Parts: sequence; C-alpha cells; structure tokens
Amino acid sequence: MHIEKHPVLGRQLHTPVTIYFNDQPYQAYTQQSVAAALMANEIKKLGVSRKLVQSRGLFCSRGRCCSCYMTIDGEDHVRSCMTEVEDGMRIYPNMDDPEVRREIDED
Amino acid sequence: MKTDVLIIGGGPAGLSAAIETASRGLDVTIVDEASKLGGQLNQQTQALRPLPSVHEPMRGFELADKLIEQVKGFNVRPLLNHRVVGFYADGSAGITDEENVFPVKAKKIIVASGAAEKAVAFPKWTLPGIMTIGAAQTLINRDFVMPGREAVIVGSSDFAMETAIQLMDVGIRVKAIIEKQNGALAKEQEKVSELSRNGIPFYFNSFIREARGNGQVAQIDIELPDEVITLNVDLICMDGGRAPILDVFYQLGCSFGFQEELGGWVPQYSNTFQTDREDVFIAGNAAGISTQGPLLLTGMIAGISVSEELQAISPAEANEIRDAIWKELGLLECKEVYTGRVKHLENFTSPVLKDQFIS
Repeated sequence: MHIEKHPVLGRQLHTPVTIYFNDQPYQAYTQQSVAAALMANEIKKLGVSRKLVQSRGLFCSRGRCCSCYMTIDGEDHVRSCMTEVEDGMRIYPNMDDPEVRREIDED
Repeated sequence: MKTDVLIIGGGPAGLSAAIETASRGLDVTIVDEASKLGGQLNQQTQALRPLPSVHEPMRGFELADKLIEQVKGFNVRPLLNHRVVGFYADGSAGITDEENVFPVKAKKIIVASGAAEKAVAFPKWTLPGIMTIGAAQTLINRDFVMPGREAVIVGSSDFAMETAIQLMDVGIRVKAIIEKQNGALAKEQEKVSELSRNGIPFYFNSFIREARGNGQVAQIDIELPDEVITLNVDLICMDGGRAPILDVFYQLGCSFGFQEELGGWVPQYSNTFQTDREDVFIAGNAAGISTQGPLLLTGMIAGISVSEELQAISPAEANEIRDAIWKELGLLECKEVYTGRVKHLENFTSPVLKDQFIS
C-alpha cells in the first residue's frame, strides 16, 4: 500500500507511473525505488537465492545486501532498492545467474 | 578529473567535511551511490538530539536539507548515483556511474562511508518481509510505502524504538518488541514508555525461534522464558546493531583495530582523523558508530585537518578549532562511545591489522 498522506512529511506522492512486473501493470510513483513500489503492490518476493533457491526480498534497502536483485529493462542483477522507477519500466524477478554481456572489440 | 578533496559518502559526516573544506576555498568532489545527498538523514523523521551548538534542534530530514543547502553555496561537485570501485596505482579513485569507470585524482581523500546494519539470524530469517529496522524506516519515510500491516521488532535500541513509533504512526500494528536481554536497551526511556502506554508488549529474555511462510513471512514462534507463543505477522524488523563499512579502507590498505564500543573493526586514525595513509582521512560512522550530532563533529574535524594539510588554514588555527570540536565531541557523544574512541586513538601506532593484503 502506498502512503498517500504521511503523518510528518505530508503528501509527497504526486506523479504516478506504470511499471510492469512479469508483464503485469502496476501503479507506482516517481521517486520510489523499484523494490518499494513492488512492495506497495503486495509483491514481496523479488527473486530466489542462487544456491538453495529460496525466496528473497528487500532486506537492507541500502544497496548493500544484494537480496533484492532483479532484472530491470533487460539488465540482470540490478539492485532494485537503489533504482528509481520510471514509466513503462519492465521488471522481472531474479530467478537465475545473470547473463554476462561482453562487448568484443572487433577492431 | 582532478579535485583538491574527494569525499566518499555524502551523509552528515561527508557533508560537514565538505562544508569545512569548501568554505576555505578548496575544490571538493563528493561521491555517493544514492540519488540524493544527506545519507540516512533523509528518512529520519525523529527529532535529533543532541546536535552541535551551531544547529538548532531539528528532525533528520530537515538537517539533511540544511546541510545540502549550505554545500550548494560552495565549490562542491556532487557525483550522485556514483560509486568508488577501486583505486589506480597512482592513487586515483576509480569511480563508476554504473556504466563506465573513470579516474578521479584528489590531493586528499576523506572516507565517510558510514555503517551497515547487521542481521539477527534465526531459522528462515531470509524470508521476504523480514528486514532491518533501517529498511522499514526507508520504506515509510523515503518511498512512502507500507512495508507490512502487522509487525514485530527484534531489538530495543533507541533506533529500534524510534522506528517502532514511526511504524505505528503510519498505521502499522506493532504486535511485540522482542529483546534477548532482560530490559530495554534504549537510552531514551520515554520512547519505551510511549510504546508501553500504547499497549505494545515487550518480551524480554526472548528471541524468535522460527519464522514461517510460503514465499514471504506469515508467522513466527517466539521463545519466551517459560513458554513459546505464535504470532501472525507479515513484517519483522530486526535491529542487530551497526558496523562501520570498511571496503574502501581495505582497498586503500589502511590499518585496523578492534574496538567494541565503536562497532567492531575500525580503521586506525589519529586525533586529526588521519589514517595511517597520509592522504586519507576518515569521518562519521566509518570512524566508529555514533549518533548524528557527534557524526557531524567528526566530519568537521576531518575537514579542518584536510584544510590544514592543503594550507587553506594555518596549523595554529586548525589546532585551536580542532581542540574546540574535540571538547564538544566529549560533551555530546555517549560516554561509552567517546571512551572507546579515545582508547582507539591510543592504538594508532600499534594497529591490530596492518599490511594484511600484501600482493
């Protein structure tokens, strides 16, 4: 649930955007992190752990624990707590090892 | 890119170091991985006290705004959404914008990398819905998102009590505060009383035996001294204390000591907040976990020392200001932490860890 009226900070959610998680549209607001915006839409499981394949979600919200890795706009292993939402963003859970992209210089 | 002073971390300590150096005419660059300066102050809605005498009492985000506003008046270049990822052989910092890496050559570096929250482990503590108290605070005060509806708090420090009150204020039901010691650890007892008055039970000598849930936390068993109770919750906020963030100091090859009162392993530094690498200074929680007021003072000391080294201020004047700030630090800082800090300084010349990464 989004906090529309904060007891100390008042109303700060002004600009709604649409984000897509697993191709489903959800409402978020600019300035929110991807992880937070998903939690506002009751999505807490953001991926699974690499070795034991257990559910993982937001843990530190500081970009340090790497529990909230997701695939955002085609890029794997993005820290979703440190990435702000953008309109039309396409987000998928972190279910696997990242695809390591490497540009090979042909010259 | 070249700069006089590179400050790693744009929180309260980094910003006060920036003000001290930039106000004396130095060219300052601040690198921070967040999209806004101010660090954790930005999501602190509680009143901060005690603050240094130059500030009137205010809330965390108000202090962040004030410091950011002050910095704007000087020659300070903030690199937001940027991180330091390593150092080149010539001492330049390798900084990334998450796409490219570029070198920044600084005459002096102030590391104010802050602290990280520690976890409290129990079976299934990694389930979604279980997070640090800082994360819960960030969700409600930065992102304006409810992290859950029914919560328990593990731990009873001042920070945990403040967060519990902030959760309640946005309508989250705090079902219990679980503390493994036999009493509340918060120094500000009025916060404990406020929570008790609101009917929130404190379970002392207790801990979480297990969490359960399918894909996210739904239920916990709490082991009390003489029984085990089960609560349905969708949010567990854990307070495992904080430890200095040390990555950059490892990369710089700084020496370390162990000081329980400062949060464990801490880089060694002298009373000018200079590490054993002459071009590297330290400030804030990285120099030992403290409260916001003292963090500002440590940033000021580091800033004064760097200004002195770069001849923006005379040694005599620097000494005079530094002595005054140390005096205020002694008054403002929790006695235990201050004593630990003084002990830590004494070990500067005999660190526990030195040259541990010889390659």
